[in-house]
Amino acid sequence: MASKTGSTPATYSPSPATHKKKRIPIADVDWVRPDSRGFYQCRPAYLRTGAVSPAAGSAYAEFGNTKVIVSVFGPRESKKAMMYSDTGRLNCDVSYTTFATPNRGQGSDKKELSSMLHKALEGAIILESFPKTCVDVFALVLESGGSDLPVVISCASLALADAGILLYDLVASVSVSCVGKNLVIDPVSEEESYNDGSLMITCMPSRNQVTQLIVDGEWSTPKIHDAMELCLGACSKLGEVMRSCLKDVVTDLKE
Amino acid sequence: MRMKKKMTPEMVGLSVGEKNFIKGGIAQDLRNDGRKRLTYRPIYVETGVIPQANGSARVKLGETDVIASVKAELGKPRVSHPDQGKVYIYVECSPTAEPSFERRGGDELSTELSIALERSLLGGKSGAGAGINPASLLIKEGKVCWDLYVDCLVISSDGNLLDALGAAIKAALSNTGIPRVQVREAASSDEQADVDVSDEEFLQFDTSGVPVIVTLTKVGRHYIVDATSEEESLMSSAVSISVNRHGMICGLTKRGGAGLDPSVILDMISVAKHVSEQLLNKLDSEIEAAERANEEEP
Repeated sequence: MASKTGSTPATYSPSPATHKKKRIPIADVDWVRPDSRGFYQCRPAYLRTGAVSPAAGSAYAEFGNTKVIVSVFGPRESKKAMMYSDTGRLNCDVSYTTFATPNRGQGSDKKELSSMLHKALEGAIILESFPKTCVDVFALVLESGGSDLPVVISCASLALADAGILLYDLVASVSVSCVGKNLVIDPVSEEESYNDGSLMITCMPSRNQVTQLIVDGEWSTPKIHDAMELCLGACSKLGEVMRSCLKDVVTDLKE
Repeated sequence: MRMKKKMTPEMVGLSVGEKNFIKGGIAQDLRNDGRKRLTYRPIYVETGVIPQANGSARVKLGETDVIASVKAELGKPRVSHPDQGKVYIYVECSPTAEPSFERRGGDELSTELSIALERSLLGGKSGAGAGINPASLLIKEGKVCWDLYVDCLVISSDGNLLDALGAAIKAALSNTGIPRVQVREAASSDEQADVDVSDEEFLQFDTSGVPVIVTLTKVGRHYIVDATSEEESLMSSAVSISVNRHGMICGLTKRGGAGLDPSVILDMISVAKHVSEQLLNKLDSEIEAAERANEEEP
């Protein structure tokens, strides 16, 4: 995590909780992004595998203010299923720390993220390679800075690769928000809370296949075309970043 | 008297021959019950089935039978959005539909359906594209608002639950009457604000903006609309698209784990828009007929 530079004060007095003025997007004026990015510019991605040593595989991802850690355990004996199955089972759980959101405990009502993560990953894992057993994926959101689910999905597929689970392809995920009349990619939480619509794509870049697509809000067909094209382009770039992160680990070991 | 003993695919499973028969038929635009790929089963709508609710409807799509009820209660707006009311959509899968739904068995399906419905009907975070405009549920900014609880029950399931639930919610909303309220100014400006809830006057909901959900199921290389549970057991993936009267896409959910080519998804969107027009017209006329039948009753 980035360290703060600057003079260290002798005593620490906490600054009052600043209620930042919420800017509501106006219909005809171009939206200015809080972190002065371009509309089609994603946040710089910091990805690292091997964050949790007891786990079979793990990854840590930091996209701007969104920080996620994912650990993968397995293939191991599944406690739930008593029935024989000739394909493996995937079990996903996404949870928020209580300090992840500006108001304490806000993340506890995001329970559907676990099933969304499951749907995004099950298309990419070769389940036949570990019959009768199950693979557990546990994701923890340390800080929620917007675009949480896409970061969780990308980090989880990196952790699965780190664990050595056989995958058809890495899964990269990006979301786009429609704020006023602009399409902004990789939104921060401020942009997400005022969007007119959001689109999240999860895809396997090398196979050019979409494993999950979630759209809400109001969209016209040409807008959906544009948004999908944007996302798919960003996904393939993110896929390359993920691949280079995995390769770095191997080259470090060789040295 | 009809004696029908149905062995559902969930009970016995389809044989390889049956699967190939269905797939081959779909490839030739002929399904098991004689429909074409893009034809819906006959829709039957009945409104006002639950007298204690503010609005209710029952929709039968072939053998799929669902009930939706709308209850409005007074509540307090959220701190983050003081100018909006709240809408909660909850689906329950009853064990009468499937023995496996008993107790916790139907939970996963229920949550999936509830989330997909909330996404289609409540629009973006700012409220754009919402079928139910939360701002219309406001009584006093920051103090009192209507909480709308939309509860759906799946009585019998023969595939395509999402479309049937979407239709049932639309019909229930057109049947909903919200009591008129008068705000009495409180003496002290504290949290409580007194409201007079009228027993006589009711305000009807405007449901022209409520979208309809079209689920396209991909079997082999073709898409079918309104799949029965047999056809659903063969699907590789399904995309549920919610389209409103103006042809705008109000929500999209992809179900099923298999990967889909992006061009296929865009094609599905245009097919869904085309099919949704006919479905919207059919549904509106059925709802009108049901409301008229209600009024004619003594």
